[in-house]
Amino acid sequence: MKRRLVSVLLAATMTVVSLAGCGSTSAAKVEGASGTSVAAEENAEKAAGGPVTIKFWNGFTGSDGDELVELVDKFNSENKDGITVEMDISASLDEQLASAFAAGDGPDLVLFSSASRFTYGDYLQDISDIFDKTSLDKGDFIEAYTDYCSEGDSLYLVPMEIVGFYLYWNKDLFKDAGLDPEKGPESWDEYVEYAKKITNAEKNIYGSGLCYGYNYQMSHIVQRFGDLAVTKDNDGKWKANFDGNTGYAKFLDTYKSLVDSGDNPLTDDTDSMMTAGQLGMTVNGPWLTSGMETAGINYGITTIPYGDAGKMTSAEVIGMAVTTFASEEEKNACYKFIEWWNSKDANGDCPSEKWSLDFGYPTYLKSVLESDAYKANEKVMSMTNTDTSLRADFIVDSAFPGIGKIINDVIPKMTQPVLFDGKNADETLSECQKLADDIVGEYNE
Amino acid sequence: MSNFAQEFVDAGWEQKCSQPLRKDDQMNKKSIGKLFGYFQSAEGSAYIFLLPSIILLLMFNIIPLLMAFGLSFFDVPMTLDSAKFIGIENFRDAFSDSRFINSLKVTAIFTAIEVPVQVFGAMIVAAFIAKNDLKNKFFRAIYFLPVICSATAIGIMWKMILHSNVGFFTYALSTMGLGRINFFNDVHLTIFTVAFISIWRSFGISAIIYVTAIQNVNSSLYEAAKMDGAGSLMQFLNVTVPSIRPTFWFILMTRFAGSLQIFDIVFMTTNGGPNYTTESTVTYVYSRAFSSGSQMGYASTLSVILFVVIMIVTVIMNKRMNAEE
Repeated sequence: MKRRLVSVLLAATMTVVSLAGCGSTSAAKVEGASGTSVAAEENAEKAAGGPVTIKFWNGFTGSDGDELVELVDKFNSENKDGITVEMDISASLDEQLASAFAAGDGPDLVLFSSASRFTYGDYLQDISDIFDKTSLDKGDFIEAYTDYCSEGDSLYLVPMEIVGFYLYWNKDLFKDAGLDPEKGPESWDEYVEYAKKITNAEKNIYGSGLCYGYNYQMSHIVQRFGDLAVTKDNDGKWKANFDGNTGYAKFLDTYKSLVDSGDNPLTDDTDSMMTAGQLGMTVNGPWLTSGMETAGINYGITTIPYGDAGKMTSAEVIGMAVTTFASEEEKNACYKFIEWWNSKDANGDCPSEKWSLDFGYPTYLKSVLESDAYKANEKVMSMTNTDTSLRADFIVDSAFPGIGKIINDVIPKMTQPVLFDGKNADETLSECQKLADDIVGEYNE
Repeated sequence: MSNFAQEFVDAGWEQKCSQPLRKDDQMNKKSIGKLFGYFQSAEGSAYIFLLPSIILLLMFNIIPLLMAFGLSFFDVPMTLDSAKFIGIENFRDAFSDSRFINSLKVTAIFTAIEVPVQVFGAMIVAAFIAKNDLKNKFFRAIYFLPVICSATAIGIMWKMILHSNVGFFTYALSTMGLGRINFFNDVHLTIFTVAFISIWRSFGISAIIYVTAIQNVNSSLYEAAKMDGAGSLMQFLNVTVPSIRPTFWFILMTRFAGSLQIFDIVFMTTNGGPNYTTESTVTYVYSRAFSSGSQMGYASTLSVILFVVIMIVTVIMNKRMNAEE
């Protein structure tokens, strides 16, 4: 009998434990043993200038995540305000945020793409007062990037990383083709010309590495040819610009002819080929550099050549946002962390600058752009467009909320039917227009 | 009621109240005691043991399933913070969505390739490795190895091996004069490549289940067949196959349902390309919910449609299996 009772109690304990794991944090905070609110006690402690812990979520799972951990540890040990940043790095940040927000819980500080403000806008606080409450100078931030993080006068994210795409070339293959190995192509006509010279079918070497499977790569290039896919018309309504876009048609024809002539492989993975030394040129993000260096490829980097759409830069801005789950004290603590990230310490070290130099991300701070260390870094300088007045919208007007749908749903429908179904560019662009009109229509309602 | 339970109830009661017991309190005491007693009986304690599983099943299966059904009638974003009832509009949209229709077609083709190989191929292989000797144990381990590998690792590995330009296997084939086969970028071939990887990954589990079933076939049946002059092939067709029919149906049903839900291998290798020729229904559902759409209501609708398809197929198979039995 005793044994049975013990078993029953164990089973009941398991049940309780399994249920306890599902309880929300907020519920756990509600009542203390004495019946007083623990959250209220915590807030009182914070108001009295006591220690504050902020939950900081991001999706930096690679080597950048390791450095972020180091920098956050440095902040935790050095700051004199009693602030502790508790970081949670997740490979599936979107799913984690969606579940947490739906459950009425979430981080205080989150690091994600500025485009995420369209998805999680209801959970983000206006942080435009950060420039009043801290020593940060709004004028030090490159305007094109802060525009990305704003809606009207409200600022929802402070830039932390600028992710652009760049043109990489293999210097050894350039030399073999009789081209100047120190200079990448400056126009798309030159790109095609170089690709033809570099291609060597016998050695399985291709001059060009455009990749239909990389929607982001396609988008960055497409806009050089035919400008933004979605803009505002004179009535202030969104409009899609696919049908009759001669720039887009020119890009599709160029890509198709490169594939047909054997100068560009028909593949959904050009990274492996670039790091294997089989591609003369490709377009990709800064993360390609580590693979190239590991593989010992002698490479050069430059900005993507301009096309018919004129001078521009295009980038995705990753920024820090304060959520509605942060109390006033936690919000101020988040401000302190953001201030620390973008300021120089007594030794002249700035985490933001270190981040740019270590990973090759162009800076968003004018003061860093002017620093000697930044100017001396050849790699990062070759990715930096020093003209800070250039617009930086990526594929759509930076205020258009449907950017994800344009990149993931329309761009593949533009490139792949031309490559695989043999459809002509104009016909494909007309179909893309219909698709994009439906998307744009959702945001004009 | 046991002595322990009685003492427990009495002690608690004495601590709380030194007043004489009222009538309704006495009734409560009796019913609590009765309940406590019931959960100590053989029948009652079974429910306690089942409770953790029931709760987990409810939390992770039943409730999400019911929620998905509910969400399919709403326009809901990923954060579930606002919901607009739209009736059957999502269902109407689904059946006029060319990408969804295409994804159903792709899933059907994938299932048609994968299921026969899994069901019949694994049966044949199992017949060869059913005997418990060292060689067969080694082969069973080899076949089972991919089952314990993650889909991510498998996807990356096969992408490297079969890469059209830098893949080892592609290179080996080209040295044999077969040219550079573009396994992942050919609209006619890529679905077979994905199916092959999926089969390679889960073939071992089907084979091992068959091996167990074959080992349980009564050996006297084989002896009788041998005495009747049946060779190995006839023994397999006339003794083994009929004896393992329940296992056959089990594998057929589980592989069917599994194939209709293919996601991870597609996501890791082709992400639905080239030109949507490998975009399965679940891959499309994922893209609507997370990649670009943030349309949780619409994604739920697509999942419900897939659920109904899988349920119909499974019920038909189950009926057929029961009829045979």
